[in-house]
Amino acid sequence: MPSPLELYEALRAPAAAAYAAWRKPVRPRIDVALDTSSLANGAAKTRAAIADAVRARNAAVDLGRVHGYGMQWCQPLVTVTFPDGASVIYGPVAPADAQTIVDIATGALPARHRLALGTVAGAVAGVPSMRDHPFFALEPRERRVLASIGLTDPESLDHAIANGAYHAAARMLDRHQTPAQVRQALVDAGVGGRGGGNFPAGTKWNFLATTPGEEHYVICNADEGDPGAWVNRVIMEGDPHLLIEGLLIAAYATGSRGGFIYIRDEYPLAITRIEQAVRDAEAAGLLSSGGSGEGILGTALRLELRVIRGAGSYVCGEETGLIASIADDRGMPRVKPPFPATSGVFFKPSNVNNVETYANAPLVLRHDAPWYHRYGTERMRGTRLFSFSGDIVRVGFMEVPFGVPLAGALEACGGIVPGHALKAVQSGGPLGSMLSAELLPQLDMENAPFTALDALLGGGGIVFLSDAVCTIHMGEMFAEFVEDESCGRCTTCLRGNQRMTEIYRRTIAGGGRREDRHNLELIDRTLQFSNCIHGQFSPKIMRNTLRFFPQEYERHALGHACDALTCAGLIRFRVTDQRDPALAEAQAICPVGAITGAPGARAVDDATCIRCGACTDVAPRGMAREAAPAAPRVIALA
Amino acid sequence: MPLETEAKAQVRALLADLRPGHGDLLAALHRVQHEFGYLSGDAIEVTAQQLGLFPAHVYGVITYYAEFRLEPPARVDIRWCSGPACRARNGGGIRDAILATLGCAMDGMTADGRAGVRLGQCNGTCELAPQVWVEERATHTNAIVGGLTAARAVRLARALRDGATAAAVLADSTITGGAIVGDALPDTVTAGATHA
Repeated sequence: MPSPLELYEALRAPAAAAYAAWRKPVRPRIDVALDTSSLANGAAKTRAAIADAVRARNAAVDLGRVHGYGMQWCQPLVTVTFPDGASVIYGPVAPADAQTIVDIATGALPARHRLALGTVAGAVAGVPSMRDHPFFALEPRERRVLASIGLTDPESLDHAIANGAYHAAARMLDRHQTPAQVRQALVDAGVGGRGGGNFPAGTKWNFLATTPGEEHYVICNADEGDPGAWVNRVIMEGDPHLLIEGLLIAAYATGSRGGFIYIRDEYPLAITRIEQAVRDAEAAGLLSSGGSGEGILGTALRLELRVIRGAGSYVCGEETGLIASIADDRGMPRVKPPFPATSGVFFKPSNVNNVETYANAPLVLRHDAPWYHRYGTERMRGTRLFSFSGDIVRVGFMEVPFGVPLAGALEACGGIVPGHALKAVQSGGPLGSMLSAELLPQLDMENAPFTALDALLGGGGIVFLSDAVCTIHMGEMFAEFVEDESCGRCTTCLRGNQRMTEIYRRTIAGGGRREDRHNLELIDRTLQFSNCIHGQFSPKIMRNTLRFFPQEYERHALGHACDALTCAGLIRFRVTDQRDPALAEAQAICPVGAITGAPGARAVDDATCIRCGACTDVAPRGMAREAAPAAPRVIALA
Repeated sequence: MPLETEAKAQVRALLADLRPGHGDLLAALHRVQHEFGYLSGDAIEVTAQQLGLFPAHVYGVITYYAEFRLEPPARVDIRWCSGPACRARNGGGIRDAILATLGCAMDGMTADGRAGVRLGQCNGTCELAPQVWVEERATHTNAIVGGLTAARAVRLARALRDGATAAAVLADSTITGGAIVGDALPDTVTAGATHA
């Protein structure tokens, strides 16, 4: 009987040869990035245009696919790989640029071109390395979790194996590293839960491993629901086998034979790629399937993985809600204990970690604790993926060591869009935080500086907001979100978040009251009695706003004014120049017919206007969004 | 024994490989909704029988999740992204403009069912904020209109309300702003397609 490593080697040798041929192709190859972001930017059209151009010219060029490298503001990204192995990323590549890309690939045009962003392999005269791009200034020279991103076909098991996938798992099985040793390796490395809590993954695995019973489950929480966070999506769409190997290692270490990957409904491409990767791994003998066949790599280890598609519920990202959702129930979180390690899916002992946490396990086993500790801080080891969005020049994702300054990340993102300044940092999603710009220098990207400010770094999404944004307006959005997504089990959360949203809405409508602050603080204290963190953390952004943006809150609640001119009840639209010829279009575009009157005498009916801003979009000169005149002051009598 | 209708037989065939106590309910509901566009009373009954659950339990699960529908969907939906990057760029005004134009509330549709509006969750394509997705069932169109303004949102909603096809509105530069229209991957069209 061949050993696990021999069986692995039988997979690796042909995979390595196939990948080597892909890296140094006989003919130049054009790889269009195909991921959720690139497709949103029209990558399918770009790819079709390139295919047409290649066909029309009968060019000696092949077409392939990669995952985008991280520069989402330059999507669609296209990588050209030359026969010498050099790869250059171009972007944004519109369908109209297809000819140019084909010319570059065939050598009719030099590789150095205005669309060239950088090289990801080899060297090309006049094109800088992508690693020197300012967006990646904070990334380590060698990416870890993202090592394969942009350099492999994410749908190829061969490419994954050639880049080291399943080697750590095979070695683990071959050397008969005991499950306890594997768990200890995770503990020694100090891998923390990447969902935001930083709870040591090895310790969590110990809980499950030491629970009696035969039927244990490993569960991957891929319900990345925080708006503005998409780092788990990148792993699933870009390197699905890294996650599967992580689950395989976790299953061995915890004595589990079944596993679930629970992916949110909003990530259909991630679902497709993970399902395909699971089937490919099964076919290669790297996972079990259907309760039959041999164990994994010739050993007794069995693991069957199932992908569960969510259906639009934020609290299914809470582990007990997720477990309920898998097991045919409403995805409502429940009181802990019992913890999932005691009673999880189908009431069996289970372990829940998020995608990035599992994805770190193979890296730890491929190397060792000192390697892992090369990046990060004492309290938070290693690197972490972040996605950056909002009013910044460069939107995208990157992998940075824990503890780097957030100010550096903002700089990497090209700073705030021209003409504006940073006003707020929103991290951790709707249960996270809203911090003011002056706190930026204190914020290193690990949990401690955030928790010291009653804030949350969270699951990887950071939204930078400019001075054009109103924190009360944004607060209403998050209040509505946490109200809408409350499972309804706890009255504190169900009703408390309704009250919080009502107060926000009334304030935005111009009806702020002096007692609102007291009531918001009361709601905050009440919510702390909720059973799960959804209720407990849902007033956090409101609390942050009262603390870090007190003037803006007071201006709204008591001064009845919104200086950012976004809150509907505190602004109005007015015709400022009757001679503007665009007024006719403004009148026509108004969805509620609020602009009335003949040319030269147009006026906005304030009672009808819904403040959507369509009129100022088409007639920015003749129409203005401005502060509403001060409302008559109502004196409350005692 | 309840009457076996053709619709029930179809649902039963669709769910034949699913079984009780196995975590198959979400997959079952996705499949049925993908096939029929919504989850009918018949579908609830058959799903419950197939998975050994009470119909009330299945109904409770359906109403818990945002993506399951008990009524047929609109001909074409505008999926409005509710994320923070979109909201920071007048996403709220875009929403209000669409709702006013269609004359319905969020997750509602015009009285004739020509156009609807649904709450979308951030999928991390925030470089295109503010954005909406145009989802047309008949043609399996899933297009993303990014960098939107309230004015263009009004044009989009008016055109769809008046019966224009998704293809027509996506070819109209007064709606798209002349930008390349990319592909969103909304669940309403693809749901269930990947389930074996």
